[in-house]
Amino acid sequence: MTAKTHTLTDELSAIDWCYEQGWTDGLPVVPPARERVERFLMAAGRPPEEVVARHPATGRECNVQSAAVNAVMAGCLPQYFPTVLAALEGLNEDRYNFHGSTASTGGSAPAIVVSGDIRDEIGMNASVNVFGPGNRANATIGRAIRLIIMNIFQMIPGVSDRSTTGWPGKYACCIAENILNSPWEPLHESLGFPAEVSTATVFAASGFYNVENHYTSDPERLLDTFADAMASLGALTDGQSLVVMSPEHAQIAASGGMSKRDVQAYLFEHASRDPDDMLSNGKWPSGQPSGQSQDGLAEGDRSGDRFHRGRSPEDILLVVAGGEAGGHSAFLPSWSRGRNSIYQTKAIGVCLDC
Amino acid sequence: MPIELLDPTGEPTPTGFIAAPRLSSLDGLRVGLFSNGKVNADKLLRYTAEVFEREAGCNIVVDSGKVNASRIAEPQLLERIANDVDFLITAVGD
Repeated sequence: MTAKTHTLTDELSAIDWCYEQGWTDGLPVVPPARERVERFLMAAGRPPEEVVARHPATGRECNVQSAAVNAVMAGCLPQYFPTVLAALEGLNEDRYNFHGSTASTGGSAPAIVVSGDIRDEIGMNASVNVFGPGNRANATIGRAIRLIIMNIFQMIPGVSDRSTTGWPGKYACCIAENILNSPWEPLHESLGFPAEVSTATVFAASGFYNVENHYTSDPERLLDTFADAMASLGALTDGQSLVVMSPEHAQIAASGGMSKRDVQAYLFEHASRDPDDMLSNGKWPSGQPSGQSQDGLAEGDRSGDRFHRGRSPEDILLVVAGGEAGGHSAFLPSWSRGRNSIYQTKAIGVCLDC
Repeated sequence: MPIELLDPTGEPTPTGFIAAPRLSSLDGLRVGLFSNGKVNADKLLRYTAEVFEREAGCNIVVDSGKVNASRIAEPQLLERIANDVDFLITAVGD
């Protein structure tokens, strides 16, 4: 390993020293001692100098070794590291828009959704308190990505990260799919990956809406609750959506025979508003749909006189996760108000294109 | 026991980003305006440009901006503008 090194007197002083260098997210980090980093490189099985991601504006590069250093600091175990790398590869895709999503006033977090058997192999939480604290893998995989963004790519809060409010997911936002309590096929299979492959999906999330409905058993009334949240004035754009449906909600949604695709289609159809609402509230100041889109507003974005969240059912990333009890789910809107960040999925620990 | 830490900031920023030489005078120079493409950036640029026009006799020869506010400026566009101006003023609206 050829990285720059620093010698400290002991581990406790090293923790404080990392603070002094500005290398933390505000929480203490695990000092990235050489021998710890070497264990991560062994787990990855990839050359330390291999570049995994590159910042499009500054040209700064993150190689496997640099990523490992930050994963150590985040508190990861070596077996988590392939998942960190897969998420990082997702961020590096041009359509994810790594620069914009990490610099913007919109303040997004890379929400990571892990699907497949690796969830159990590394002990991730897919159930109770899935977005909350208490599980080392969930917490530290998400945190490793944040430390990489800050330390390697220098997206520093208040300097190059201009988030107006930010949100707690920017510390760490990583969940696993609760496939054991899902009525539908796993996410990675929905997205066309082989059943035996595990994946990490990254989605630039700008926040978290609790979708609560405890008392209906009617699938459409339940989905109307989701659609209403997704079409709230504060959230409605033609950007993508991450819908994390609790097992209880998912069972109700599927009880009438709806497939995952049917649910996506229903939500797309109903998560919509009259365009006049957008105009009268200044969401479209110019009097035209405003999506900051690269390609403008395409035909088909409206159905009749309605403006929809997203442009198609596929723009709704539907995942089952959370505890078995409780009428609570989550909707996370895309940071992008248009097409400037599209979620990306990468296989973990294998290269399907090689 | 002493501990050896690996630096988490990775490799130094790649070369290729070179600061432009300082201008010795502003008199009569060609100025470019470059907006991030969001609301009010154009107004800020215009007010600023008027100062350079009035105080130093500068000429505004380029009034441009990013095609997509959420992405980096296209390198080809910046290279083209660089050939036409002596200095560039940018503004960030939001």
